[in-house]
Amino acid sequence: MTAVLAESDGVSRSFGANLAVDRVSLSMTSGEILGLVGANGAGKTTLIRLLLGLERPDAGNVRLFDQPPTRATRSRIGYMPQTLGLYDDLTVAENLSFSAGVFGVDPPRLDDDLARVADTTIKAIPLGLRRRVAFLAALAHRPELLVLDEPTSGVGPLGRADLWETIHESADDGSGVLVTTHHMDEAEQCDRLVFITAGRLVASGTAGEIVASHATVEATPADPPAALESLERAGMSVLPAGRHLRVPGASLANVRAVLGAVPPLSEQPSTLEEAFMILARAS
Amino acid sequence: MWAMVIKELRQMRRDRRTLAMMIVMPLVLLVIFGYAASFDVTKVEIAFPQGQPPGLALPDPFESVDTDQSDPVEILQFGEADVAIDSSGPKPVAYVDGSELFTARAALQAFTTAAAAGAPIQTEVLFNPELDTSAVLVPGLAGLVLLFVGSLVTSLGVVRERQAGTLEQLAVMPLSPRDVFVGKIAPYFLVAAFDMVVVLTTGWLLFDVPFNGSIWLLALGALLFLFVTLGTGVLISTVSENQGQAIQLALMTLLPQVLLSGLIFPLESMAAGVRWIGYLLPLTYFNQIARGVMLRGAPFEALILPLGLLAGLGLVVFGLAVLRFRAELAPARRSSVKVAA
Repeated sequence: MTAVLAESDGVSRSFGANLAVDRVSLSMTSGEILGLVGANGAGKTTLIRLLLGLERPDAGNVRLFDQPPTRATRSRIGYMPQTLGLYDDLTVAENLSFSAGVFGVDPPRLDDDLARVADTTIKAIPLGLRRRVAFLAALAHRPELLVLDEPTSGVGPLGRADLWETIHESADDGSGVLVTTHHMDEAEQCDRLVFITAGRLVASGTAGEIVASHATVEATPADPPAALESLERAGMSVLPAGRHLRVPGASLANVRAVLGAVPPLSEQPSTLEEAFMILARAS
Repeated sequence: MWAMVIKELRQMRRDRRTLAMMIVMPLVLLVIFGYAASFDVTKVEIAFPQGQPPGLALPDPFESVDTDQSDPVEILQFGEADVAIDSSGPKPVAYVDGSELFTARAALQAFTTAAAAGAPIQTEVLFNPELDTSAVLVPGLAGLVLLFVGSLVTSLGVVRERQAGTLEQLAVMPLSPRDVFVGKIAPYFLVAAFDMVVVLTTGWLLFDVPFNGSIWLLALGALLFLFVTLGTGVLISTVSENQGQAIQLALMTLLPQVLLSGLIFPLESMAAGVRWIGYLLPLTYFNQIARGVMLRGAPFEALILPLGLLAGLGLVVFGLAVLRFRAELAPARRSSVKVAA
């Protein structure tokens, strides 16, 4: 049976004149991987901090495990911030021992890569390994809700794949995973997505649902650079794709009006990245 | 090069705190310390437990004070006067409190002058007979070490957590603000206590600084003093965005304590306009306690006032530090009652 792990109801937060989060309502359930997608500065981290109780909302209501964020609810969360939350001057083993000690569990077992650097200070190991240590620390007490803020930033392709495999395993075991990202290939791995632009929730649903509601015009002009310039001059966002130009969110008629009758045009389903561009422009 | 100069000036203009430290602080410090920096003793309190002998005129800078005590040594131990005259014998004896270096020197000078004018009086310096500067300074320096560790090092430790992002991680862990607070300052407390033992032992071994009182009474004073300094350190950390700011603020609390607490310049010699600042500073009271215990062997009753004032300062500073620290670690404490506007 799924349970609501975290929810926000019309939550807002400003920093001075900057409205970082604007009336966002969302909820996530156990076993679900919810992707919080947005550009840098869109408000993802602030929304996470609100959900965790690290920021006080100016308006709206936040609940964790059906209660306000408290010390009791925190023991059921595993959190990996963008800054990783590791002590640079402690070793890998000491960091994990501290984290496990706070949660009252045994330190996690290290894989071969991490075992080799167990007695090395965090500041002396590569960023990719640091992220894995932070991830291990967040997972060690088998949290019901795993909150990961840009977990794969600075991690190589293999490391990312490993990390996502572990994220899926956690969700399969019943944990909810809230993950922020601005990589669309990672967003596609989430069960459900919430798109945030300028602090506002602009779309939510599965990746399939989001792309299904947006279309992109693909043009194959004889002179792609000239066509690209014309379309951009007309105020359209254009993505070059080989010999084609993709114009997310534009109508066939508008593209035809700029490029004329000659180049072949077709309307196709948007990719996730294109859908995000359309939503960002609309907001 | 001009681009560099202009860039620096722009950064300096935006960093108001540093700008204030560079321009306003030197002026303020010059005025305050100018009035505080004085070794001139204008008043020496003198007590006559058996009454003032007839015919003994009091030259400047002596000023008679009342006392209920009959034992001249106890009068000095309790800090009721700087000099106590024992007139029970055939020739009056002036007992001088050697723990107050400059006052004692002024008193001896005045007695020498009086003797030359035909008023023979025997003098005896108690607690620090050689009027040794080290004996007077080392107890206060131990306080300075506690202040350094308590305020500066503690504030840096907490700010470092914030800058590294680990304070945020702590806030999400199932730790109460009290757990974090106590866990954070306990090691500094132990290090400061160790430092103090080292300083006092070194003072004793190298400079023959006496220890005439109760070690437990000094420990109580040190505990209360640490209470204030650790609270100051945490308080500084809660208003500092980075380690540079924490150092600036810590220095702004350290410097006045060095110069206005009576550690170097006697409080009584300072102009009244700045002396009151000294009475707000915790090192003033620790200095009184440490000198009282170590040099004069003062009992608990004699030190109730500085102990009580330190406890009061501790409650205020530590309380503020806990409140601010709690607000930083649990900002969403009241979020559950908020509703959409």
